[in-house]
Amino acid sequence: MLRQIVLLSLFLFSTGLYGILTRRSSVGLFIAIEMMINAAIINFVAFNRFLAPSHIDGQVMGIFAMALAAAEVLVGMAILVMLFRQRKNTDIQSMNSLKH
Amino acid sequence: MSFLSNFEWSQNIFYLLAGAMVFFGFFTVVTKHILRSAIYLMSVLFFSAGIYLLLGADFLAGAQVLIYIGGIIVLLVFAVMLTRSADLAEDHPPLTRKLFGAAGAITFFVVSAYLIEQSPLIIEKSLPSESASIASLGKSFVDIGASGYALPFELISILLLGVLIGGAVIARKEMRTK
Repeated sequence: MLRQIVLLSLFLFSTGLYGILTRRSSVGLFIAIEMMINAAIINFVAFNRFLAPSHIDGQVMGIFAMALAAAEVLVGMAILVMLFRQRKNTDIQSMNSLKH
Repeated sequence: MSFLSNFEWSQNIFYLLAGAMVFFGFFTVVTKHILRSAIYLMSVLFFSAGIYLLLGADFLAGAQVLIYIGGIIVLLVFAVMLTRSADLAEDHPPLTRKLFGAAGAITFFVVSAYLIEQSPLIIEKSLPSESASIASLGKSFVDIGASGYALPFELISILLLGVLIGGAVIARKEMRTK
């Protein structure tokens, strides 16, 4: 059953990769990144349960990854709202300078 | 939950969850409407909370629903509405970019699947019956010993505080200075 779970998370990671390579709006990019992080957390939990059932380290890593994902989305969305106020769009192609 | 320890049952539930996740995960990245994509992502995250339950990670499943669905998805939807990304960003990727993206993703999937098949870590066995308890998870967060995670836990809390303040500072209304 471990193989099936790892393949499932690999599929989610690959679709996230496709989303990153094709999306143009930055919110779409964030959604793809969230899915990739989620796939990684599934891997952590699955390997923890199957290879070391008496330990808890994989779940701890999962919770840390979750908190980091939340932090990343918060900063990203704040930057996005600010950029939208100045540029009036959320296109990745227009985000090419550090100052305004 | 007792029925989850039944191997046949957990296998069936896993395939049900996995099918739903593959379906919604695919439509998350191909749909043209960004708001719909967020809702599909919500379904993927919800079903992966089911996978965590299946793997005996009860606390992580609860945290997934609270943090991801209750926090991150709401934040994404707010950002879509505040920036009118739904109307502005036309997501019609040209065919070349679609082809390049699909080639990259499929190559990655195939190579990694091959490596997974070769890996000695992937063992064929059913779900182990014993699993660590929530109490030991809580203890590991405050354990300052060699196997504890007290320092990263504190660092994460400081990071989250900094991010909250930084996010509020970045997204605030511009002050008009004379």
